[in-house]
Amino acid sequence: MKLREKHRHLVFWLAILGIVVLCPLRSHAYAGPGAGFAVLSSFWTLFVALLYSVYAFFVWPFRQLLRLLKKRKAYGNAQIKRAVILGFDGMDPELTERFIAEGRLPNLAKLRDQGSFRKLRTTYPAISPVAWSTFMTGVNPGKHNIYDFLARDLSNYLPYLSSAEIKGPKRSLKIGKYTVPLGGARIKGMRKGTPFWHWLGEAGIFCSVIRVPVTFPPEKFPGVLLSGMCVPDLKGSQGTFCLCTTRATGDKFREGGVRVPVERDGSVFCSYVPGPEDPLKPGSGDELRVDFEIRPDKTGTQARFTVDSQTFPLKVGAYSEWIPVKFKAGMGFGAHGICRFYLKELAPEVEVYVTPVNIDPGQPDLPISHPVTYSIYLAKLFGPYATLGLAEDTWALNEHVLDDDAFLAQCYANHDDRERMLFDALEKTQQGLCACVFDTTDRVQHMFWRYLDEDHPAARDVPHDQHPQVIQDLYARMDALIGRVMKQIDDNTLLMIVSDHGFKSFARCVNLNAWLHQNGYLALKDGKTESGDWFEDVDWSRTRAYTMGLNGLYLNIKGREREGIIAPGADADAMKDELRRKLDGLIDSASGRVGITGVFDCDAVYAGPYVDNAPDLLVGYGDGFRASWDSVMGKVTSAIFEDNLKAWSGDHCIDPRLVPGVLFCNRKIAEEKPAIVDVAPTVLKLFGLALPGHFDGRPWTVTAPEAVR
Amino acid sequence: MASLGINLPASIVAGISVVIGLLMVVVFRYTSDQKAIHVAKDHLKAHLLALRLFQDQIPVVIRSYGRILLATGRYLRLAFMPLLFVSVPLILLLAQIDRYLGSIPFEMGHPFLVSARVAGAEAFSDATLELPAGLAATAPAVHVPAENEVVWRVVAEREGSFLVNVKTSSQASAKQVVVGSGMPRLSAMRLRGQFWKRLLYSAEPALPQNDVVQMIEVQYPSREIAFAGLEWNWIWLFFVLSLAAGFLFKSILGIEI
Repeated sequence: MKLREKHRHLVFWLAILGIVVLCPLRSHAYAGPGAGFAVLSSFWTLFVALLYSVYAFFVWPFRQLLRLLKKRKAYGNAQIKRAVILGFDGMDPELTERFIAEGRLPNLAKLRDQGSFRKLRTTYPAISPVAWSTFMTGVNPGKHNIYDFLARDLSNYLPYLSSAEIKGPKRSLKIGKYTVPLGGARIKGMRKGTPFWHWLGEAGIFCSVIRVPVTFPPEKFPGVLLSGMCVPDLKGSQGTFCLCTTRATGDKFREGGVRVPVERDGSVFCSYVPGPEDPLKPGSGDELRVDFEIRPDKTGTQARFTVDSQTFPLKVGAYSEWIPVKFKAGMGFGAHGICRFYLKELAPEVEVYVTPVNIDPGQPDLPISHPVTYSIYLAKLFGPYATLGLAEDTWALNEHVLDDDAFLAQCYANHDDRERMLFDALEKTQQGLCACVFDTTDRVQHMFWRYLDEDHPAARDVPHDQHPQVIQDLYARMDALIGRVMKQIDDNTLLMIVSDHGFKSFARCVNLNAWLHQNGYLALKDGKTESGDWFEDVDWSRTRAYTMGLNGLYLNIKGREREGIIAPGADADAMKDELRRKLDGLIDSASGRVGITGVFDCDAVYAGPYVDNAPDLLVGYGDGFRASWDSVMGKVTSAIFEDNLKAWSGDHCIDPRLVPGVLFCNRKIAEEKPAIVDVAPTVLKLFGLALPGHFDGRPWTVTAPEAVR
Repeated sequence: MASLGINLPASIVAGISVVIGLLMVVVFRYTSDQKAIHVAKDHLKAHLLALRLFQDQIPVVIRSYGRILLATGRYLRLAFMPLLFVSVPLILLLAQIDRYLGSIPFEMGHPFLVSARVAGAEAFSDATLELPAGLAATAPAVHVPAENEVVWRVVAEREGSFLVNVKTSSQASAKQVVVGSGMPRLSAMRLRGQFWKRLLYSAEPALPQNDVVQMIEVQYPSREIAFAGLEWNWIWLFFVLSLAAGFLFKSILGIEI
């Protein structure tokens, strides 16, 4: 019966096809808008491709001639055809050696044995934006102007992002209560110096650069680049997640997130995703929103989400795909973003975590790549992807909004996207430079070091034998990636694995502002024993030194700071010496360990035109210590040392001598103590280019390869 | 309507185009794999962008051309099934509309041809045309043996709907002929058998199966519709307008095509 039914269906469809094909009627020339679209769209694409190929065909000889001339210059003295640099942010040499010894990292072991493995000296301080800026420019921070994530405004002692400044449009038109922006946002890169791929590009060597930190805003050069760390979210922050909840709790998140109420309307739950400030009402604090609905199913394990006009099902404990959201401001203004929803709970309460709203790479409102079409190309090829600089939401795990598994799932989803981009770049860059930085190593170590440390305060309630092997798995995963890359390269390709710094436990917090207060260097307003964020209760007229950010210590210098009291010159130098003497070797009485192992005078550490923007001293914390969360935010507490109870349990913002990075290479490197500042000159030299005179780094002696596959 | 300055045929075509444009995109939406079409289109765009981004990498450019072709093929394959769902009812519908909008009736005093195809030599030589009052033959019948067809030239003396009869020695077969103006339902031919052809071309009942006459046909003049300063065949006007409507509705409804 079934067969006959099937047969009948076949006959029916064949008959229909027969009519269409065999009985020509003039109306057959057009079979509806569907066909029209299909034909028009595909033929339009082909037509554009054809047109472009004709154009390319005619200009190709000229371009090739130009390229040959450039290439002769570039590759004339080149020792390599291609350089592949994989950056693993925070990959630690000691852990790597340990895991190699345990047989977990066969590919890195092969690289070490047949090529080179060294500890890579990092920058002062050992912080990613600083180290990666040095990596790309080949100069010390005094020449690239990045000293920390944050810099301070001398006029008000408040912080600002050190890498980029985003301002509203230059001109606007006031219409009643609305301000219509005339033009786009103004973005100014604060990192100085020239990335080495600019030199390569100008010499005719093609470069694909993916997610190297501090490349926002993207700079123009002959190659393609996708910006990494420091790209903001759509709100302009470095990542603001959102917890939509029916729970009536008023607690604000300490960092990185907002709580949004979920309202019940019958069987439907309604909430919204907060977006950027209304561009038509700048300064009003009015934010744009995208509403969404949640319709739980009867089982209570799944719900149907409606966001704008999109609907999708979501199970409890699962992430959605990237969902495009458009924040509409009226008059045609708005912003395009993407975010992911994570359904935490449906009963008894409803809770949904929403990632920070990332700039939509398919239609970026701010440039996040060079050329701007590169981010679009990647979005079309692989689908939407995280664009936020700090895309892995460490704050959400710190605040217990995400659990370990949800955080890891987010990290590895982003990582998988990055891998796809890398392999596409490898395919597209058969000659030239392919550089890609993976942040997963940094974020996962920050958040899961507590399971590596036998007595970490943040994991004391979990028996040591039950600690998950998160970091071990992370390194094994990176090793597998390296193995796949090694299969794609030939003997003319230089493969370099670098990390900007290593990692150590962060078990104890040091509130340096508290120490400065208790030792008479920082004064509070009368009657105050502590200060709120950003020196809220600090009496600047009696304050000689203060700290904000991760490692910088500043003197309150007369004529430099708004209310400075220390005279520059001899007085300032004396104060620096005094502070260095007192802080170096500072003991944590509770643990009996050294909390600070070095204090460095920035005048001695840095040289260059931007030294004036540097802190006065850099504090090198000891193994197991770091600046406290409060101290980083300019808060003064009563305790100097305290336990770190947050999931963020590993760190590297300590004495740079304790956290070198890694350097693996498929060639022999003669230098015993290479530094990250040497990478740029080494790559330029291997491509046969002359080194710019301002470089601080020195090229390594790299000898011919033994085939490492 | 014409006296009010309204171009009725153009208005009808516009109305039909908008309705069908909407219907078709909705049908397309529910009969297609929207996500796969979205991905296929995105891949097409990506490979196009690759041509520009990596223009100096000749192997990349060549690979991108290949991928554009592959992606186009994938897109056409994905569009084929919904196309089938959309095309079949649409073709039948268009065939019906074509009877009103495709042609105009004969004008009074203007000659036209009536042709009949018959089976058998006897019937071929015997066939005659019987005309009602108001229609008159203006020339003797022309026999085309190779086609088994007999052709008469006829002129209308007044407006109206007439039945002409093709007579053979044994039978008489009628065919409607319309003379005048407006948008009456016109049938260019009357057929024996040939179900699909009748469905698409004829607006009259089938000729009896035992009839020696296989087909009677008249050639109504094509209708030209004035729109946007141009003279259009209705099907091309429908093509343009329904496409525009489809684009509009697909954007409004967020349908991937």
